[in-house]
Amino acid sequence: MDPVNDPQVPRRGLLFYVGSAGLLCVMVVEAAAVLGRHVGMPVMGALEIVQVAIVPAACAGMLIATLRNAHAAVHLLTERLPTAAGRWLERSAGVLAGVFFAAMCGGGAWLAAEYWNTYEQSEVLHIPFRPLRLLVALTGAALAVLSVRRAFRSGRGA
Amino acid sequence: MSGALGVIALLALLAGGVPIGVAMGLVGLVGMALLLGPEPALIKSSVVFFETVTRFELGVLPLFLLMAHLCFAAGASRDFFSAAASVVGHRRGGMALATIAGCAGFGAVSGSSLATAATMGQIGLPEMRRRGYSTAFAAGAVAAGGTLGSLTPPSGALIVFGIIAEQSIGRLFTAAIVPVLTQALLYMAAIVIVCRIRPGIAPPSERLSWRERGAAILRVLDLAALVAVVLVGIAVGWFTPTEAASIGATLALVLCAVRKRLTWNSFCEALALTLKTSGMLYVVIIGALVFAAFMSFTGLAAQIASLVHGMNSGPVATIIMIAILLLLLGSVLDGLALMLLTAPILLPITAALGISPIWFGIFFVRTMEIGFVHPPIGINLYVMHSIAPDIPIGRVFKGVLPFLAADFLHLALLIAIPGMALALPRWLE
Repeated sequence: MDPVNDPQVPRRGLLFYVGSAGLLCVMVVEAAAVLGRHVGMPVMGALEIVQVAIVPAACAGMLIATLRNAHAAVHLLTERLPTAAGRWLERSAGVLAGVFFAAMCGGGAWLAAEYWNTYEQSEVLHIPFRPLRLLVALTGAALAVLSVRRAFRSGRGA
Repeated sequence: MSGALGVIALLALLAGGVPIGVAMGLVGLVGMALLLGPEPALIKSSVVFFETVTRFELGVLPLFLLMAHLCFAAGASRDFFSAAASVVGHRRGGMALATIAGCAGFGAVSGSSLATAATMGQIGLPEMRRRGYSTAFAAGAVAAGGTLGSLTPPSGALIVFGIIAEQSIGRLFTAAIVPVLTQALLYMAAIVIVCRIRPGIAPPSERLSWRERGAAILRVLDLAALVAVVLVGIAVGWFTPTEAASIGATLALVLCAVRKRLTWNSFCEALALTLKTSGMLYVVIIGALVFAAFMSFTGLAAQIASLVHGMNSGPVATIIMIAILLLLLGSVLDGLALMLLTAPILLPITAALGISPIWFGIFFVRTMEIGFVHPPIGINLYVMHSIAPDIPIGRVFKGVLPFLAADFLHLALLIAIPGMALALPRWLE
């Protein structure tokens, strides 16, 4: 299987590198924490590093899944519909996804604004949560834009 | 009333092809907005969104996926099948037995029914056809064997259930071990019985020398050790499931390198596929948690629980009714949608009856697995049909029937003897 030409394998871009870095960071830190614990040299704040590193991995993953239209859906009915009706449903699904993610972005931004001056941070390593809140809200916005854009592109291009 | 309307709206959105996570999240968000007001609904949903994305326990999902993709790159699927085929492949029906064993082995690194069926289908199905097996029987064996991937720890379905039900993923993994082994044994028994009745459908083939068998078994020892370290480590408490996933992914990376299968391209491919699948799962989990929050506000589960309690039917009858409901819904919904839709409603009902949530998780995934192979959806059957389009779907349906019988027997045993799932975690504690 050629990963470069396989449509199921996402292309490598910024999202891939950011997400992979987060994922590999989680993997290495957790493995080091286990090893450290068993040899008597615990890694301080490993959980907090994992909590932070998992965010870019999760955000990049959700964006990649949206870009590749890889979200799990039930196609039992839509596959049996006439093409025009199928396209209409596909477009509606994209718009609804856009609405949901826009709500998540709005709510996320609201919460970020609420907590902005409270200087939220982790307990051991004092990692600030502001960037995480911002990243999650921005991911919501990007997911909303991508979903709506895909909805109208698939409708026009089909 | 609002809960029932929410479920109907969700089913309508799912039927309309709206992504599962989005449909659940949207129904939950709108439902809560109607019940509580727009502001609390938005805040509650956004809190779920942020907390899910920053939840370190959820790292278990992408890391086990990474382990699976790396093991796949290391040639795990073919090696598991070859090892099993070298031992029993020469017997009548032996390649089908090897397929089941290979599925159980590969299921332990893939954690997914679909991935197991698709991967083993590409290896086992051509091999069985080459040796003159009935196409229906061969396709049925792979489709059924693939379902082992859903329950074999580290199982993606059990991880999602653990998150939704707020149960220990480690205990769920330990509880799944005996049911998986008995399921594989029942499938093997079905193969032996079918081959006794109709010997022509699975002819015996040439026997390998002991040297060749030894070599094939040696090739999977490292993979078996990887699986053993992960599962034993969780079971005896060396590490948490998230840590086990990290250890598993790290060891899989080392294993790939030792086997000289680690190229830049294969590594990037494993990472890219991991990110894509975990992104899809994150959206589904966020949606399910928002929907579950809405359900808890509606009180639907409590109403159904009191209704069930009022019927005085007892836990066993209730579980049988739930199994029938899940099997019916499983014939029109896919496994993930079925779990996320019904788990928030069914969990309080079973809790009210004093049923262990760990046992219920195993029962749930086991029932869900049957949905993968029973018509009209039976997604594994369509996977077989897509791998071998010359085998009519009707023949695939026919081929899976003996395995479906084994499935129902296994489900009945699981209900009759809850210790099948609960004894091992209790013993280890």
